[in-house]
Amino acid sequence: MTVSPAPAEAILEESQPGGRRSRLRGSSDARAYGLATITTIYLLWSLVPVAIVVLFSFNAGRSRSTWQGFSTRWYTWDPDGSVLNDESIRITLMHTIVLGIVATVITVPLGVLLALALDRWRGRIPAGANFTVLITFVIPEIALAIGLLFMVTYLATPFGLGTTAQVVGLVTFQLAYPVVICRARLLTIGTHYEEAARDLGATALGAIRRVILPMLFPAILVSAIIVFAGVLDDFVIVRYLSSGAATETTSMRIYQTARAAPTPALNAMATIILLVSTLAIVAGWLFYRRLNRRSGSSTDLGSFAGQL
Amino acid sequence: MTNRPRRPVSRRQVLQASALALPGAWALSSCAREQPIGAPSSSASAGDASSSAGASASPSATGIPIASPQNPVKWPINPGNEPIASDLEPEPNATLRLYNYPDYVWNRVLKNFQKEYADYNVTIELSTFNDLPEALTKIRSGSVPYDVGFLTYNYLGKLVYGDLIRPLNHSYIPNIVDAWDSFQNPWYDQEWQYTVPYTVYTTGIGWRSDLIPEDIGARPDPYNVFWDTKYAGELAVLDDDREVIGMTILRNGGTDVNSADPATLGAARDAMLEMLSLSQPRVTITGYTDIPEGTLSLSQCWSGDMITGQYYMPEGVDPSVLRYWSPPEGNGLIGNDFLCILKGGENPVLAHHFLNYMLTNDVALENFGWVGYQPPMKSLSPDTMVADGWVPENLASAVVRQEWFDVGYPLLELPPAVEAEYQAIWQQFKAGA
Amino acid sequence: MGGRLQRLLWPILGLPSIVWIVLFFLVPLYVVFCVSFGDVDPIFRTPIPIWNPLEWRFDQVAVVWDRLVGPDNFYLPPVLRTLYYVIIAVVACLVISFPVAYFAARYAGRYRALVLALLVAPFWISYMMRMLAWINLLQPDGLVNAVITMGGIVPLDVNWLSGNPFTVVMGLIYGYVPYMMLPLFAALDRINPSLLEAARDMGAGGFDLFRRVVLPMSMPGVIAGTLLVALPMMGDYFTTDMLSKSPSTSMVGNLINLSIATPGQSGQAGALLILLLLVLLLPMVWYTRSTAKAEVRS
Repeated sequence: MTVSPAPAEAILEESQPGGRRSRLRGSSDARAYGLATITTIYLLWSLVPVAIVVLFSFNAGRSRSTWQGFSTRWYTWDPDGSVLNDESIRITLMHTIVLGIVATVITVPLGVLLALALDRWRGRIPAGANFTVLITFVIPEIALAIGLLFMVTYLATPFGLGTTAQVVGLVTFQLAYPVVICRARLLTIGTHYEEAARDLGATALGAIRRVILPMLFPAILVSAIIVFAGVLDDFVIVRYLSSGAATETTSMRIYQTARAAPTPALNAMATIILLVSTLAIVAGWLFYRRLNRRSGSSTDLGSFAGQL
Repeated sequence: MTNRPRRPVSRRQVLQASALALPGAWALSSCAREQPIGAPSSSASAGDASSSAGASASPSATGIPIASPQNPVKWPINPGNEPIASDLEPEPNATLRLYNYPDYVWNRVLKNFQKEYADYNVTIELSTFNDLPEALTKIRSGSVPYDVGFLTYNYLGKLVYGDLIRPLNHSYIPNIVDAWDSFQNPWYDQEWQYTVPYTVYTTGIGWRSDLIPEDIGARPDPYNVFWDTKYAGELAVLDDDREVIGMTILRNGGTDVNSADPATLGAARDAMLEMLSLSQPRVTITGYTDIPEGTLSLSQCWSGDMITGQYYMPEGVDPSVLRYWSPPEGNGLIGNDFLCILKGGENPVLAHHFLNYMLTNDVALENFGWVGYQPPMKSLSPDTMVADGWVPENLASAVVRQEWFDVGYPLLELPPAVEAEYQAIWQQFKAGA
Repeated sequence: MGGRLQRLLWPILGLPSIVWIVLFFLVPLYVVFCVSFGDVDPIFRTPIPIWNPLEWRFDQVAVVWDRLVGPDNFYLPPVLRTLYYVIIAVVACLVISFPVAYFAARYAGRYRALVLALLVAPFWISYMMRMLAWINLLQPDGLVNAVITMGGIVPLDVNWLSGNPFTVVMGLIYGYVPYMMLPLFAALDRINPSLLEAARDMGAGGFDLFRRVVLPMSMPGVIAGTLLVALPMMGDYFTTDMLSKSPSTSMVGNLINLSIATPGQSGQAGALLILLLLVLLLPMVWYTRSTAKAEVRS
C-alpha cells in the first residue's frame, strides 16, 4: 500500500461475531438488487485489470496488450528477459522480500511495546508520542522520504542511502499500524485480567508476558501481515532512499519500466510479488483461525478481513 | 468496558513534541558531514546572474573554465588524484557498478564482459538515472560507489572540480585508436585525460509516417510542429532541460543554444509555455518505444532513438514507417556521450578494462545493434551504414557524420547562475503553468 | 517488586519506539527545515543546511512564496490543479464507495465474508501493479480502445496516456478508493438495523431514511475516509507520472519530486514541502483528534 494510512475506523471496529444479517425485507428487494449490481461492477472494475496483468505474464509474445498464446517464457525460459534468467529481476525480487521481512521484524515489536506503554502511561510524553505516531499515519509519504533523504545526505548518520536507510524509513512509516491495532485491542481487553493475575501474585511484567501478550496475539499477527504487505507495496520511501540497482524494489522497477520498454517479464515479476503477499495473508488467516478456535471466537473469513 | 478519555492534544503539546527534535539535531550537527567543495575558493554567490549575462562561453565566476569547440580545455589533475599505475591486475571478485540511462547498453554486452573476465569473477551492477542533474546529485552524494559513468560533457567541469572523477591511465585503453580521430583529443577533454567516447547523436524529431502523413522535414521550420495544435496530445519533447530550451532557442531563430542572454531566455520560456497551451506535449525520454508503439505520434528525440525504435515496433507494423529529421548537414543540436571512471568506485583497474572493452570494434558494433546509438568508431563508416544494413533506408537521416561536429551546436556546461536560470525555466515548464 | 520500578515499567517499554520516532521522524523533519532555511553551495548549487534556527535564512522560502503568489506565479497552476483533482477524486470515491459499502454492510447476507474479502483485496495488490494494469489497458491498441471502438468498427481516436487529465483522475480514484471503502463500511456496519426499522415504522421513506438516519450516522466514516484519501493524494506524484507524463497534469508532488533531483533546488523542494505540511496540518490534527474520539467511543 503506497498510501499507507490504515482505515483506523475499520481497525478500531470490533469484529462482529458472524456478522449481522439484514432484516430489511420486502420493498428493499429492488434496492438490494440495485446495490448488488453496483457492487459487482465495482468489484469487476477493481480486480479485472489486475487479473489481466497476471494473465499477460503468461503471454507467449512480447506484447502486453495482444494475446499471443500461453507460455511460461517470461518466468523461466526466455534466455535474456525471463525472471529466472534476468539477474536484475531476481535481485529486485529478493531485495523487496528481504525489506518486507526485516522491516516487519523491527516494526511489530516496536509498535507493540509502544501500544502497551501508551495504554497505561499518563503524561505529556506519551500524549506527544501518540500524537506523533498518528501524524505519521496521515502525513504524505513524500514528506517522510525527503526528510530521511536529507538527514542521510547532510548529517553524519552511521548509514548512507541503501538498505539500512530504506528499512529505517519503512519502519517509521509503518509503525503506526501495530500501535493503533494493538491499542484498540488493549482497550477491549481492559484491565481486569491483568489485575486478576496481579492478585494471584504475578509481577507487572509477568502479567504482561503471561496474560496480556497472549490475548494480544491476534492483533499482533494482523498488524504483522499489514506491515509486511505495506512494505512490499511501498514506493516513495524505498525510491528516495535507494542507492542504485542493488536496492531496487519491484515497485520502483514497475515505475521505471512501465512507461519505457517493458516485456511481460515485468508482469511476471509483479505477479510473483502478489503471490508472496497472498501467501502471507493465507498463512496469517490459517494461523488466526487456529488461534480463535482455541479461544472460541469467530473464525470466518469476514471477521479476519474485518480486522484488516 | 473501561472508558478512558484521551486528553485532546493541545497546541502546546505540539510545540513540545517538535521541541524534542532540537537538541538531538544540534548534537548531530556538530559532526555534520563536511561538504567537499573542491573548487578554488568561491568568490561569487549563486545570485549574480547578471555578471555572466550576454557571454555564454566566458569562464564562470566560480573559476571553472567552460569548455567549447572554440575554447578547448585541458582539465587539471587534482593533487592526490593521479591516474592509477600501469600493469595492475584487475580487482578479483569485484562488483563493477555502472551508472547509465535506462536501455542504453546491451545486457548481452555486459554479460560477455563478465564471461571474458570470468577469471576475476566479475559481477556487473547497472543502475540507471533519468536525467543528468539527477545523476550528478546522486554521484555527489557519494552514497553509491559507482565505477563507470555513462555521462556527457556538460557536467564534466563539475565532475573534475568536485573531485568526483578519476583521470585515465592510457596504457589500459589501447583501443582508443579505433575511435574517430577528433575524439582522441576532444575539445571538452583535451588529451582525453578523463573520458573515452561512447556514442554520437543529433537531436531532432522522430515520428511514424502512418500516424502523421505530413513530411515534417519538408516544413519551412520543422520545429514549429511542437507549436501546432493539429498534433495536440500526440507529441512529446525530451525530458531534458537543455535539449528543450536549446531547441526552442533554435526555433526562435537563435543559434546560441547556451545563451545567457536574459532576452533570449525569456523569449524561450514564453515560447515553451505557449507550446504547453497549444500542443500539451508529454515530457519523456521514452520516445524510442512510445513512437513505435503509437502511444506518441511524434517526439523530439535523439537520432539513436529512432534507430533503436525499429526493434520496438508492435507485430504487424512495418518499421519503415519510422521517420527522423534533424537540421541538414549537422546544423542543429549535436552531441556525444562518454564513459568515465568515477572516483567513488572501488575497482579502478577493472573500470579501465571495461572502457577498453567498450571501445573494441566488435563490442561497439554489437552494442550499436541493440541501443541504436552510433559509436564513433572508424570501422563504422557513415557512408555505408545504410548499405551495410546497420540503419534502414527510411532512417538514413539519423546517421551522424564526423564533420557535422565542426558546424553543429553542442550543449555546453553552464556557469552556475545561468544554469539556475535554465532550471527555473524548466521547472516552470514542467509545472504546466 | 518495588513500586518505583512498577511506575517506570511503562516508560521503559515505550522508550525504544519513542527514541525511534524522535530520531527518524522528528529529526528528519527538522533537517528539512535546516535545508530549506539554509544556504546553497555556489558551484554545485547543492544545499548547505544551517543547523542553528537563529541563523536561518529565508531566501528559498521567499523564492517559493514568490512563485506561488508573486507576479510570475507558476507554482499556482499545479497547486490549483492538485486541489481540483483531489476534490473530484474524493467525491468520486465517496459516490462509488457508499452504495458498495452499504451493500456489504446491510445486504450481502451469506456472501458477506466473500464480498468483504474482495473489497480488502486491492490492499494486497501493489499500487504500482494496479497502475501498470491501466497502462496496459489504455495503450492505443489496448483493451479499452478495442472495447470502445468495438474492435475498430467505430472510429475513435482517444490517446489516454498522453496528458489526459481524465486518465489521471481515474487513476487517483482507482488507486485510493479502497481507503474510502473500509472506513465507510465500518461506519455503516455499526448502524443498528433495528434503528432503521424504527425509522421506517415511523414513516420515513427511502430518501428520507438515507438523509436523516444513514448519512448522519455514517459521518465518522465519511470524514475518516475523506482524510485518508485526500491527505496522501496531496503528495502523490507517481500516478500522473505513470499515466500521463505531461506537464499539463503536473501536481504539487511532481514539483517537489522534480526539484529534489535538480541541483540547487533541493532547498526549494523542502520549502514547498513545508508549505504543503502547513496547509495539511489542520486536517492532520483533525484526523488524530477524531481517531482519539473514536477510541473513547469504543
